[in-house]
Amino acid sequence: MLGEWKTEWMKVRHRKIALIPAAFLLFTFLWLSWAAGSVHMESAEDGWLWLLMCLGLVNTILVPTMAAMLASRLCDVELKGNTLKLLCTMERKGRLFDMKLLTGASYLSVYVAAELVMMVAFGRMHHFAGEITLRLLVCFLLQSGLVSLGVLLLQMMLSLFSANQILPLAVGLAGSFLGLFSWFMQSPFWRPVVWAYYNLLGYIGQDWDVESRIVSYYEVPMDRQALIIFLIALPVGYVLGRRLFIRRTPGCG
Amino acid sequence: MEYIVETRGLTKRYSGKEVVKDVDLKVPRSCVYGFMGPNGAGKSTTLKMLLGLIHISDGQVAIGGEKVNRKNRIAILKSTGSLIESPSYYGHLTGRENLEIVQTLKKVSGKEIDQVLKLVRMEEQQNKKVREYSLGMKQRLGLAEALLGNPSLLILDEPTNGLDPAGIQEIRELIRELPRRMGMTVLVSSHLLGEMDQMADYVGIINHGQLIFQDKLEALHEHSRDNLRLRVMNQTAALHILKREGISCALKEGDLELPRLADDETAQLIGRLCEGGAGVYRVEEKQKSLEEIFLSLTGRRGSL
Repeated sequence: MLGEWKTEWMKVRHRKIALIPAAFLLFTFLWLSWAAGSVHMESAEDGWLWLLMCLGLVNTILVPTMAAMLASRLCDVELKGNTLKLLCTMERKGRLFDMKLLTGASYLSVYVAAELVMMVAFGRMHHFAGEITLRLLVCFLLQSGLVSLGVLLLQMMLSLFSANQILPLAVGLAGSFLGLFSWFMQSPFWRPVVWAYYNLLGYIGQDWDVESRIVSYYEVPMDRQALIIFLIALPVGYVLGRRLFIRRTPGCG
Repeated sequence: MEYIVETRGLTKRYSGKEVVKDVDLKVPRSCVYGFMGPNGAGKSTTLKMLLGLIHISDGQVAIGGEKVNRKNRIAILKSTGSLIESPSYYGHLTGRENLEIVQTLKKVSGKEIDQVLKLVRMEEQQNKKVREYSLGMKQRLGLAEALLGNPSLLILDEPTNGLDPAGIQEIRELIRELPRRMGMTVLVSSHLLGEMDQMADYVGIINHGQLIFQDKLEALHEHSRDNLRLRVMNQTAALHILKREGISCALKEGDLELPRLADDETAQLIGRLCEGGAGVYRVEEKQKSLEEIFLSLTGRRGSL
Protein backbone atom coordinates (compact mmCIF):
# COMPACT_ATOMS: atom_id res chain seq x y z
CA MET A 1 0.00 0.00 0.00
CA LEU A 2 2.89 2.34 0.80
CA GLY A 3 4.28 1.84 -2.71
CA GLU A 4 0.94 2.73 -4.25
CA TRP A 5 0.61 5.77 -1.97
CA LYS A 6 4.15 6.84 -2.93
CA THR A 7 3.42 6.60 -6.65
CA GLU A 8 0.50 9.03 -6.30
CA TRP A 9 2.99 11.67 -5.12
CA MET A 10 5.45 10.68 -7.84
CA LYS A 11 2.75 11.24 -10.44
CA VAL A 12 2.07 14.82 -9.37
CA ARG A 13 5.73 15.92 -9.40
CA HIS A 14 6.25 19.20 -11.29
CA ARG A 15 2.49 19.88 -11.25
CA LYS A 16 2.71 22.46 -8.44
CA ILE A 17 -0.64 21.32 -7.04
CA ALA A 18 0.16 22.78 -3.59
CA LEU A 19 -0.11 26.23 -5.17
CA ILE A 20 -3.88 25.75 -5.51
CA PRO A 21 -4.68 25.51 -1.75
CA ALA A 22 -1.96 28.09 -1.03
CA ALA A 23 -3.60 30.59 -3.40
CA PHE A 24 -7.05 29.92 -1.96
CA LEU A 25 -5.72 30.32 1.57
CA LEU A 26 -4.17 33.65 0.69
CA PHE A 27 -7.42 34.75 -0.91
CA THR A 28 -9.35 33.69 2.22
CA PHE A 29 -6.99 35.68 4.41
CA LEU A 30 -7.36 38.79 2.24
CA TRP A 31 -11.15 38.38 2.23
CA LEU A 32 -11.29 38.06 6.02
CA SER A 33 -8.98 41.06 6.43
CA TRP A 34 -11.23 43.13 4.19
CA ALA A 35 -14.33 41.92 6.04
CA ALA A 36 -12.73 42.69 9.43
CA GLY A 37 -11.94 46.21 8.23
CA SER A 38 -15.53 46.88 7.23
CA VAL A 39 -17.13 45.88 10.56
CA HIS A 40 -16.82 47.62 13.90
CA MET A 41 -15.08 45.41 16.35
CA GLU A 42 -16.69 46.88 19.45
CA SER A 43 -17.84 43.45 20.42
CA ALA A 44 -14.44 41.75 20.44
CA GLU A 45 -15.89 39.06 22.65
CA ASP A 46 -17.97 38.02 19.58
CA GLY A 47 -14.83 38.08 17.45
CA TRP A 48 -14.20 34.34 17.31
CA LEU A 49 -17.82 33.65 16.49
CA TRP A 50 -17.80 36.30 13.78
CA LEU A 51 -14.60 34.80 12.37
CA LEU A 52 -15.95 31.23 12.36
CA MET A 53 -19.18 32.43 10.74
CA CYS A 54 -17.24 34.31 8.06
CA LEU A 55 -14.92 31.38 7.45
CA GLY A 56 -17.89 29.04 7.01
CA LEU A 57 -19.34 31.37 4.40
CA VAL A 58 -16.02 31.92 2.63
CA ASN A 59 -15.42 28.16 2.54
CA THR A 60 -18.89 27.64 1.04
CA ILE A 61 -17.86 29.89 -1.82
CA LEU A 62 -14.21 28.94 -2.30
CA VAL A 63 -13.74 25.31 -1.30
CA PRO A 64 -16.00 23.73 -3.99
CA THR A 65 -14.03 25.55 -6.68
CA MET A 66 -10.75 24.61 -5.02
CA ALA A 67 -11.83 20.97 -4.68
CA ALA A 68 -12.79 20.91 -8.37
CA MET A 69 -9.37 22.27 -9.36
CA LEU A 70 -7.58 19.90 -7.01
CA ALA A 71 -9.47 16.83 -8.22
CA SER A 72 -9.00 17.84 -11.82
CA ARG A 73 -5.21 18.26 -11.42
CA LEU A 74 -4.93 14.91 -9.64
CA CYS A 75 -7.07 12.91 -12.05
CA ASP A 76 -6.37 14.38 -15.47
CA VAL A 77 -2.81 12.99 -15.41
CA GLU A 78 -4.32 9.53 -15.74
CA LEU A 79 -6.75 10.46 -18.49
CA LYS A 80 -4.32 12.51 -20.59
CA GLY A 81 -1.74 9.75 -20.74
CA ASN A 82 -4.20 6.86 -20.89
CA THR A 83 -2.49 5.32 -17.88
CA LEU A 84 -5.39 3.56 -16.16
CA LYS A 85 -5.11 0.48 -18.38
CA LEU A 86 -1.46 0.17 -17.37
CA LEU A 87 -2.02 0.88 -13.67
CA CYS A 88 -4.88 -1.59 -13.44
CA THR A 89 -2.51 -4.45 -14.32
CA MET A 90 -0.31 -3.59 -11.33
CA GLU A 91 -2.71 -2.14 -8.78
CA ARG A 92 -6.22 -3.05 -7.68
CA LYS A 93 -8.75 -0.64 -9.14
CA GLY A 94 -10.32 -0.03 -5.75
CA ARG A 95 -6.91 0.68 -4.21
CA LEU A 96 -6.13 3.15 -6.99
CA PHE A 97 -9.39 4.97 -6.27
CA ASP A 98 -8.58 5.04 -2.55
CA MET A 99 -5.08 6.38 -3.12
CA LYS A 100 -6.38 9.15 -5.39
CA LEU A 101 -8.95 10.16 -2.82
CA LEU A 102 -6.40 9.98 -0.03
CA THR A 103 -4.03 12.25 -1.95
CA GLY A 104 -6.79 14.81 -2.48
CA ALA A 105 -7.85 14.47 1.15
CA SER A 106 -4.25 15.10 2.24
CA TYR A 107 -4.19 18.43 0.43
CA LEU A 108 -7.59 19.23 1.92
CA SER A 109 -6.48 18.32 5.45
CA VAL A 110 -3.44 20.57 5.18
CA TYR A 111 -5.73 23.32 3.88
CA VAL A 112 -8.17 22.99 6.79
CA ALA A 113 -5.28 22.82 9.28
CA ALA A 114 -3.74 25.93 7.71
CA GLU A 115 -7.11 27.66 8.00
CA LEU A 116 -7.18 26.85 11.70
CA VAL A 117 -3.70 28.29 12.18
CA MET A 118 -4.65 31.32 10.14
CA MET A 119 -7.82 31.74 12.20
CA VAL A 120 -5.94 31.72 15.50
CA ALA A 121 -3.33 34.14 14.14
CA PHE A 122 -6.09 36.37 12.79
CA GLY A 123 -7.89 36.38 16.15
CA ARG A 124 -4.71 37.30 18.00
CA MET A 125 -3.97 40.07 15.49
CA HIS A 126 -7.39 41.60 16.15
CA HIS A 127 -7.24 41.00 19.92
CA PHE A 128 -10.36 38.85 20.11
CA ALA A 129 -11.37 38.11 23.65
CA GLY A 130 -11.14 34.59 25.06
CA GLU A 131 -10.19 31.44 23.20
CA ILE A 132 -11.92 29.14 20.72
CA THR A 133 -13.69 26.42 22.68
CA LEU A 134 -13.27 22.73 21.88
CA ARG A 135 -16.91 22.60 20.81
CA LEU A 136 -16.39 25.36 18.26
CA LEU A 137 -13.27 23.62 17.00
CA VAL A 138 -15.10 20.31 16.49
CA CYS A 139 -18.00 22.11 14.80
CA PHE A 140 -15.58 23.91 12.48
CA LEU A 141 -13.91 20.60 11.54
CA LEU A 142 -17.29 19.00 10.90
CA GLN A 143 -18.50 21.92 8.83
CA SER A 144 -15.35 22.72 6.88
CA GLY A 145 -13.48 19.42 6.97
CA LEU A 146 -16.20 16.83 6.58
CA VAL A 147 -18.34 18.73 4.07
CA SER A 148 -15.26 19.61 2.01
CA LEU A 149 -14.35 15.91 1.95
CA GLY A 150 -17.80 15.11 0.56
CA VAL A 151 -17.40 17.82 -2.08
CA LEU A 152 -13.94 16.48 -2.97
CA LEU A 153 -15.29 12.94 -3.33
CA LEU A 154 -17.92 14.16 -5.79
CA GLN A 155 -15.35 16.16 -7.75
CA MET A 156 -12.97 13.18 -7.85
CA MET A 157 -15.68 11.03 -9.36
CA LEU A 158 -16.51 13.64 -11.97
CA SER A 159 -12.86 14.22 -12.84
CA LEU A 160 -12.07 10.52 -13.14
CA PHE A 161 -14.93 9.97 -15.57
CA SER A 162 -14.65 13.18 -17.62
CA ALA A 163 -12.29 13.26 -20.57
CA ASN A 164 -12.85 17.02 -20.65
CA GLN A 165 -12.18 18.61 -17.27
CA ILE A 166 -14.37 21.64 -18.06
CA LEU A 167 -17.46 19.74 -16.85
CA PRO A 168 -16.19 19.01 -13.31
CA LEU A 169 -14.85 22.55 -13.03
CA ALA A 170 -18.23 23.93 -14.10
CA VAL A 171 -19.94 21.70 -11.52
CA GLY A 172 -17.53 23.00 -8.86
CA LEU A 173 -18.37 26.60 -9.73
CA ALA A 174 -22.09 25.86 -9.79
CA GLY A 175 -21.68 24.16 -6.41
CA SER A 176 -20.14 27.33 -4.99
CA PHE A 177 -23.19 29.32 -6.05
CA LEU A 178 -25.67 26.71 -4.83
CA GLY A 179 -23.92 26.59 -1.48
CA LEU A 180 -24.02 30.37 -1.22
CA PHE A 181 -27.75 30.52 -2.04
CA SER A 182 -28.41 27.97 0.69
CA TRP A 183 -27.22 30.53 3.27
CA PHE A 184 -29.94 32.96 2.25
CA MET A 185 -32.83 30.64 1.37
CA GLN A 186 -33.79 28.22 4.11
CA SER A 187 -35.60 25.25 2.62
CA PRO A 188 -35.73 21.44 2.99
CA PHE A 189 -34.87 21.39 -0.71
CA TRP A 190 -31.20 21.79 0.26
CA ARG A 191 -30.94 18.44 2.05
CA PRO A 192 -29.83 16.47 -1.06
CA VAL A 193 -27.38 19.21 -2.14
CA VAL A 194 -23.88 18.47 -0.86
CA TRP A 195 -22.65 22.08 -1.11
CA ALA A 196 -25.51 23.30 1.08
CA TYR A 197 -24.15 21.38 4.07
CA TYR A 198 -21.72 24.19 4.86
CA ASN A 199 -24.88 26.09 5.86
CA LEU A 200 -26.95 23.14 7.09
CA LEU A 201 -24.17 22.23 9.53
CA GLY A 202 -23.94 25.83 10.71
CA TYR A 203 -23.36 26.30 14.44
CA ILE A 204 -23.41 30.07 14.84
CA GLY A 205 -26.47 32.30 14.79
CA GLN A 206 -26.65 36.06 14.44
CA ASP A 207 -28.98 38.88 15.48
CA TRP A 208 -29.22 42.12 13.64
CA ASP A 209 -30.35 44.98 15.83
CA VAL A 210 -31.88 47.54 13.50
CA GLU A 211 -31.69 50.45 15.94
CA SER A 212 -28.13 50.05 17.11
CA ARG A 213 -27.09 48.54 13.73
CA ILE A 214 -25.05 45.96 15.62
CA VAL A 215 -24.86 42.29 14.73
CA SER A 216 -24.38 39.94 17.64
CA TYR A 217 -23.28 36.32 17.23
CA TYR A 218 -24.16 33.35 19.38
CA GLU A 219 -23.71 29.60 19.35
CA VAL A 220 -26.58 27.44 18.15
CA PRO A 221 -26.81 23.65 18.23
CA MET A 222 -25.84 21.96 14.99
CA ASP A 223 -28.73 20.43 13.03
CA ARG A 224 -28.39 16.82 14.16
CA GLN A 225 -30.64 15.48 11.44
CA ALA A 226 -28.49 17.13 8.77
CA LEU A 227 -25.34 15.83 10.47
CA ILE A 228 -26.66 12.26 10.57
CA ILE A 229 -27.75 12.44 6.92
CA PHE A 230 -24.30 13.66 5.95
CA LEU A 231 -22.48 11.09 8.09
CA ILE A 232 -24.48 8.34 6.36
CA ALA A 233 -24.29 9.83 2.86
CA LEU A 234 -20.51 10.29 2.90
CA PRO A 235 -19.51 6.60 3.32
CA VAL A 236 -22.38 5.51 1.07
CA GLY A 237 -21.14 7.93 -1.61
CA TYR A 238 -17.62 6.60 -1.16
CA VAL A 239 -18.69 2.95 -1.51
CA LEU A 240 -20.86 3.69 -4.56
CA GLY A 241 -18.16 5.82 -6.20
CA ARG A 242 -15.50 3.18 -5.58
CA ARG A 243 -17.75 0.44 -6.93
CA LEU A 244 -18.56 2.47 -10.04
CA PHE A 245 -14.86 3.09 -10.62
CA ILE A 246 -14.06 -0.62 -10.28
CA ARG A 247 -16.82 -1.60 -12.69
CA ARG A 248 -16.27 1.11 -15.25
CA THR A 249 -12.66 2.20 -15.03
CA PRO A 250 -12.18 4.70 -17.86
CA GLY A 251 -9.86 3.41 -20.59
CA CYS A 252 -10.44 -0.18 -19.58
CA GLY A 253 -13.81 -0.63 -21.27
CA MET B 1 2.58 -29.10 -24.13
CA GLU B 2 2.73 -26.53 -21.34
CA TYR B 3 0.87 -23.34 -22.03
CA ILE B 4 1.61 -20.05 -20.30
CA VAL B 5 -1.76 -18.66 -21.39
CA GLU B 6 -4.78 -20.85 -21.81
CA THR B 7 -8.35 -19.69 -22.19
CA ARG B 8 -11.51 -21.75 -22.32
CA GLY B 9 -14.67 -20.50 -23.95
CA LEU B 10 -13.59 -16.90 -23.52
CA THR B 11 -16.55 -14.71 -24.46
CA LYS B 12 -17.32 -11.01 -24.28
CA ARG B 13 -20.74 -9.54 -24.86
CA TYR B 14 -21.58 -5.86 -25.22
CA SER B 15 -25.32 -5.17 -24.97
CA GLY B 16 -26.07 -8.79 -25.81
CA LYS B 17 -23.83 -8.79 -28.88
CA GLU B 18 -20.89 -11.20 -28.78
CA VAL B 19 -17.68 -9.49 -29.84
CA VAL B 20 -15.48 -12.40 -28.71
CA LYS B 21 -16.99 -15.88 -28.94
CA ASP B 22 -15.74 -19.05 -27.28
CA VAL B 23 -12.05 -18.36 -27.77
CA ASP B 24 -9.72 -21.18 -26.66
CA LEU B 25 -6.31 -19.58 -26.81
CA LYS B 26 -3.26 -21.75 -26.15
CA VAL B 27 0.04 -19.91 -25.91
CA PRO B 28 3.10 -22.16 -25.43
CA ARG B 29 5.96 -21.03 -23.17
CA SER B 30 9.05 -19.17 -24.40
CA CYS B 31 7.85 -18.37 -27.88
CA VAL B 32 6.46 -15.45 -29.85
CA TYR B 33 2.74 -16.00 -30.36
CA GLY B 34 1.26 -13.81 -33.06
CA PHE B 35 -2.38 -12.96 -32.52
CA MET B 36 -3.75 -11.84 -35.85
CA GLY B 37 -6.99 -10.56 -37.19
CA PRO B 38 -8.51 -7.64 -39.04
CA ASN B 39 -9.37 -4.41 -37.26
CA GLY B 40 -12.40 -4.93 -35.05
CA ALA B 41 -11.99 -8.72 -35.00
CA GLY B 42 -11.69 -8.83 -31.21
CA LYS B 43 -7.90 -8.90 -30.70
CA SER B 44 -7.68 -6.01 -28.22
CA THR B 45 -10.83 -7.15 -26.40
CA THR B 46 -9.34 -10.63 -25.95
CA LEU B 47 -6.03 -9.22 -24.70
CA LYS B 48 -7.85 -6.87 -22.31
CA MET B 49 -9.79 -9.82 -20.92
CA LEU B 50 -6.52 -11.70 -20.33
CA LEU B 51 -5.28 -8.74 -18.30
CA GLY B 52 -8.56 -8.31 -16.44
CA LEU B 53 -9.02 -4.81 -17.79
CA ILE B 54 -12.55 -5.69 -18.87
CA HIS B 55 -14.96 -8.15 -17.37
CA ILE B 56 -15.29 -11.57 -18.95
CA SER B 57 -18.85 -12.44 -19.94
CA ASP B 58 -18.14 -16.17 -20.06
CA GLY B 59 -15.22 -18.57 -19.95
CA GLN B 60 -11.98 -18.56 -18.03
CA VAL B 61 -8.36 -17.51 -18.29
CA ALA B 62 -5.33 -19.31 -16.88
CA ILE B 63 -1.90 -17.67 -16.82
CA GLY B 64 1.11 -19.75 -15.84
CA GLY B 65 -1.22 -22.65 -15.12
CA GLU B 66 -3.21 -20.69 -12.54
CA LYS B 67 -6.82 -19.70 -13.11
CA VAL B 68 -7.17 -15.95 -12.93
CA ASN B 69 -9.84 -14.59 -10.63
CA ARG B 70 -10.57 -11.28 -8.95
CA LYS B 71 -8.49 -12.16 -5.90
CA ASN B 72 -5.29 -13.41 -7.54
CA ARG B 73 -5.39 -11.23 -10.67
CA ILE B 74 -2.85 -8.63 -9.55
CA ALA B 75 -0.50 -11.25 -8.06
CA ILE B 76 -0.53 -13.21 -11.35
CA LEU B 77 -0.17 -10.09 -13.47
CA LYS B 78 2.95 -9.09 -11.51
CA SER B 79 4.79 -11.58 -13.69
CA THR B 80 3.45 -10.04 -16.90
CA GLY B 81 4.13 -6.87 -18.83
CA SER B 82 1.70 -5.29 -21.23
CA LEU B 83 1.32 -2.61 -23.85
CA ILE B 84 -2.29 -2.34 -24.93
CA GLU B 85 -3.33 -0.11 -27.85
CA SER B 86 -1.58 3.23 -27.31
CA PRO B 87 1.29 3.64 -24.83
CA SER B 88 0.50 4.88 -21.31
CA TYR B 89 2.55 7.75 -19.94
CA TYR B 90 2.62 10.86 -17.74
CA GLY B 91 3.47 13.61 -20.20
CA HIS B 92 4.66 16.09 -17.57
CA LEU B 93 7.25 13.62 -16.26
CA THR B 94 10.47 12.44 -17.87
CA GLY B 95 10.81 8.97 -19.34
CA ARG B 96 12.86 7.88 -16.35
CA GLU B 97 10.31 9.27 -13.87
CA ASN B 98 7.59 7.33 -15.70
CA LEU B 99 9.61 4.15 -15.36
CA GLU B 100 10.20 4.87 -11.66
CA ILE B 101 6.43 4.84 -11.11
CA VAL B 102 6.08 1.44 -12.78
CA GLN B 103 9.17 0.18 -10.94
CA THR B 104 7.65 1.22 -7.58
CA LEU B 105 4.32 -0.43 -8.38
CA LYS B 106 6.00 -3.63 -9.60
CA LYS B 107 8.33 -3.54 -6.58
CA VAL B 108 11.45 -4.22 -8.62
CA SER B 109 14.98 -2.93 -8.24
CA GLY B 110 15.81 0.54 -9.55
CA LYS B 111 18.73 -0.95 -11.47
CA GLU B 112 16.27 -2.54 -13.88
CA ILE B 113 15.35 0.89 -15.19
CA ASP B 114 18.81 1.26 -16.74
CA GLN B 115 18.57 -2.23 -18.20
CA VAL B 116 15.24 -1.68 -19.93
CA LEU B 117 16.29 1.77 -21.13
CA LYS B 118 19.29 0.15 -22.76
CA LEU B 119 17.16 -2.62 -24.21
CA VAL B 120 14.80 -0.20 -25.97
CA ARG B 121 17.66 2.21 -26.78
CA MET B 122 16.28 5.16 -24.89
CA GLU B 123 19.19 6.04 -22.61
CA GLU B 124 19.74 9.44 -24.18
CA GLN B 125 16.08 10.51 -24.07
CA GLN B 126 15.39 9.31 -20.51
CA ASN B 127 15.53 12.78 -18.96
CA LYS B 128 13.31 14.45 -21.52
CA LYS B 129 9.64 15.18 -20.74
CA VAL B 130 7.49 12.48 -22.35
CA ARG B 131 5.11 15.04 -23.90
CA GLU B 132 8.07 16.05 -26.07
CA TYR B 133 8.56 12.49 -27.33
CA SER B 134 7.54 11.35 -30.81
CA LEU B 135 4.92 8.58 -31.03
CA GLY B 136 7.69 6.10 -31.72
CA MET B 137 9.56 7.14 -28.57
CA LYS B 138 6.36 6.86 -26.52
CA GLN B 139 5.89 3.36 -27.94
CA ARG B 140 9.42 2.45 -26.85
CA LEU B 141 8.72 3.85 -23.39
CA GLY B 142 5.57 1.70 -23.25
CA LEU B 143 7.66 -1.31 -24.17
CA ALA B 144 10.24 -0.42 -21.50
CA GLU B 145 7.44 -0.18 -18.92
CA ALA B 146 6.20 -3.60 -19.99
CA LEU B 147 9.69 -5.09 -19.76
CA LEU B 148 10.34 -3.84 -16.21
CA GLY B 149 10.46 -6.68 -13.73
CA ASN B 150 11.64 -9.19 -16.33
CA PRO B 151 8.12 -10.62 -16.84
CA SER B 152 7.65 -14.20 -17.97
CA LEU B 153 4.80 -13.10 -20.23
CA LEU B 154 4.70 -9.98 -22.37
CA ILE B 155 1.37 -8.96 -23.95
CA LEU B 156 1.77 -6.43 -26.74
CA ASP B 157 -1.11 -5.03 -28.76
CA GLU B 158 0.10 -3.79 -32.15
CA PRO B 159 3.43 -2.55 -30.73
CA THR B 160 4.78 -1.27 -34.05
CA ASN B 161 1.91 1.18 -34.58
CA GLY B 162 3.22 4.67 -35.26
CA LEU B 163 6.85 3.64 -35.64
CA ASP B 164 9.02 4.56 -38.59
CA PRO B 165 10.38 1.68 -40.73
CA ALA B 166 13.69 1.57 -38.84
CA GLY B 167 11.84 1.59 -35.51
CA ILE B 168 9.50 -1.18 -36.69
CA GLN B 169 12.46 -3.36 -37.62
CA GLU B 170 14.18 -2.67 -34.28
CA ILE B 171 11.09 -3.57 -32.25
CA ARG B 172 10.53 -6.73 -34.30
CA GLU B 173 14.11 -7.81 -33.69
CA LEU B 174 13.76 -7.07 -29.98
CA ILE B 175 10.53 -9.10 -29.76
CA ARG B 176 12.17 -11.92 -31.70
CA GLU B 177 15.11 -12.00 -29.27
CA LEU B 178 13.15 -11.89 -26.00
CA PRO B 179 12.26 -15.61 -25.75
CA ARG B 180 15.87 -16.61 -26.46
CA ARG B 181 17.65 -13.95 -24.41
CA MET B 182 15.32 -13.68 -21.45
CA GLY B 183 13.09 -16.73 -21.65
CA MET B 184 9.99 -14.59 -22.05
CA THR B 185 6.82 -15.52 -23.86
CA VAL B 186 5.56 -12.75 -26.11
CA LEU B 187 1.91 -12.60 -27.09
CA VAL B 188 1.79 -9.96 -29.79
CA SER B 189 -1.17 -8.85 -31.85
CA SER B 190 -1.07 -7.45 -35.35
CA HIS B 191 -3.17 -7.26 -38.47
CA LEU B 192 -0.12 -7.67 -40.69
CA LEU B 193 0.76 -11.14 -41.91
CA GLY B 194 4.20 -10.00 -43.08
CA GLU B 195 4.96 -8.73 -39.59
CA MET B 196 4.04 -12.07 -38.04
CA ASP B 197 6.17 -13.87 -40.59
CA GLN B 198 9.20 -12.08 -39.19
CA MET B 199 8.42 -12.53 -35.52
CA ALA B 200 6.08 -15.36 -34.62
CA ASP B 201 6.63 -19.02 -33.86
CA TYR B 202 2.94 -19.67 -33.31
CA VAL B 203 -0.07 -17.82 -34.66
CA GLY B 204 -3.70 -17.49 -33.76
CA ILE B 205 -6.16 -15.85 -36.13
CA ILE B 206 -9.34 -14.27 -34.90
CA ASN B 207 -12.13 -13.11 -37.15
CA HIS B 208 -15.53 -11.74 -36.13
CA GLY B 209 -14.63 -12.65 -32.53
CA GLN B 210 -13.92 -16.32 -33.30
CA LEU B 211 -10.55 -18.03 -33.27
CA ILE B 212 -10.41 -19.58 -36.73
CA PHE B 213 -6.82 -20.80 -36.72
CA GLN B 214 -4.20 -21.61 -34.10
CA ASP B 215 -1.00 -23.48 -34.80
CA LYS B 216 2.66 -23.11 -35.69
CA LEU B 217 3.59 -20.49 -38.25
CA GLU B 218 4.62 -23.19 -40.70
CA ALA B 219 1.11 -24.61 -40.57
CA LEU B 220 -0.27 -21.21 -41.54
CA HIS B 221 2.11 -21.13 -44.46
CA GLU B 222 0.44 -24.25 -45.75
CA HIS B 223 -2.64 -22.08 -46.15
CA SER B 224 -0.81 -19.05 -47.41
CA ARG B 225 1.49 -20.52 -50.05
CA ASP B 226 2.57 -17.89 -52.51
CA ASN B 227 0.94 -17.83 -55.92
CA LEU B 228 2.60 -17.23 -59.23
CA ARG B 229 1.35 -14.32 -61.31
CA LEU B 230 1.90 -14.14 -65.04
CA ARG B 231 1.25 -11.23 -67.38
CA VAL B 232 1.10 -12.31 -71.00
CA MET B 233 0.49 -10.75 -74.44
CA ASN B 234 -1.89 -13.52 -75.54
CA GLN B 235 -4.10 -14.82 -72.76
CA THR B 236 -6.02 -17.26 -74.97
CA ALA B 237 -2.84 -19.02 -76.00
CA ALA B 238 -1.57 -19.03 -72.43
CA LEU B 239 -4.81 -20.49 -71.08
CA HIS B 240 -4.73 -23.18 -73.74
CA ILE B 241 -1.16 -24.19 -72.82
CA LEU B 242 -1.92 -24.17 -69.07
CA LYS B 243 -4.97 -26.36 -69.62
CA ARG B 244 -2.90 -28.75 -71.67
CA GLU B 245 -0.27 -28.89 -68.91
CA GLY B 246 -2.97 -29.54 -66.30
CA ILE B 247 -2.18 -26.43 -64.27
CA SER B 248 -5.13 -24.66 -62.69
CA CYS B 249 -5.24 -20.91 -63.03
CA ALA B 250 -7.47 -17.95 -62.30
CA LEU B 251 -7.75 -14.54 -63.90
CA LYS B 252 -6.99 -11.79 -61.37
CA GLU B 253 -6.64 -8.08 -62.14
CA GLY B 254 -5.74 -8.94 -65.73
CA ASP B 255 -3.06 -11.43 -64.64
CA LEU B 256 -3.04 -15.21 -64.66
CA GLU B 257 -2.67 -16.57 -61.15
CA LEU B 258 -1.25 -20.08 -60.76
CA PRO B 259 -0.36 -22.10 -57.70
CA ARG B 260 3.30 -21.86 -56.73
CA LEU B 261 5.49 -24.33 -58.64
CA ALA B 262 8.97 -25.63 -57.99
CA ASP B 263 11.72 -23.58 -59.65
CA ASP B 264 12.44 -26.11 -62.42
CA GLU B 265 8.72 -26.54 -63.14
CA THR B 266 8.35 -22.77 -63.38
CA ALA B 267 11.27 -22.55 -65.80
CA GLN B 268 9.79 -25.30 -68.01
CA LEU B 269 6.34 -23.74 -67.99
CA ILE B 270 7.65 -20.29 -68.97
CA GLY B 271 9.62 -21.90 -71.80
CA ARG B 272 6.49 -23.62 -73.11
CA LEU B 273 4.40 -20.48 -72.85
CA CYS B 274 7.01 -18.53 -74.83
CA GLU B 275 7.27 -21.26 -77.46
CA GLY B 276 3.47 -21.39 -77.70
CA GLY B 277 3.29 -17.65 -78.48
CA ALA B 278 1.77 -16.52 -75.17
CA GLY B 279 4.30 -13.66 -74.96
CA VAL B 280 5.20 -13.72 -71.29
CA TYR B 281 6.45 -10.28 -70.19
CA ARG B 282 6.07 -10.43 -66.38
CA VAL B 283 6.41 -13.24 -63.84
CA GLU B 284 6.05 -12.53 -60.13
CA GLU B 285 5.39 -14.30 -56.86
CA LYS B 286 2.29 -13.06 -55.12
CA GLN B 287 1.90 -13.73 -51.40
CA LYS B 288 -1.63 -14.41 -50.24
CA SER B 289 -3.11 -11.53 -48.32
CA LEU B 290 -4.58 -12.07 -44.89
CA GLU B 291 -7.98 -11.73 -46.51
CA GLU B 292 -7.18 -14.52 -48.91
CA ILE B 293 -5.93 -16.70 -46.07
CA PHE B 294 -9.20 -16.02 -44.27
CA LEU B 295 -10.96 -17.09 -47.40
CA SER B 296 -9.01 -20.33 -47.55
CA LEU B 297 -9.49 -20.93 -43.83
CA THR B 298 -13.15 -20.06 -43.57
CA GLY B 299 -14.40 -20.40 -47.09
CA ARG B 300 -15.88 -16.92 -46.90
CA ARG B 301 -14.55 -13.49 -47.48
CA GLY B 302 -13.44 -11.64 -44.32
CA SER B 303 -13.34 -7.89 -44.34
CA LEU B 304 -10.02 -6.35 -43.32
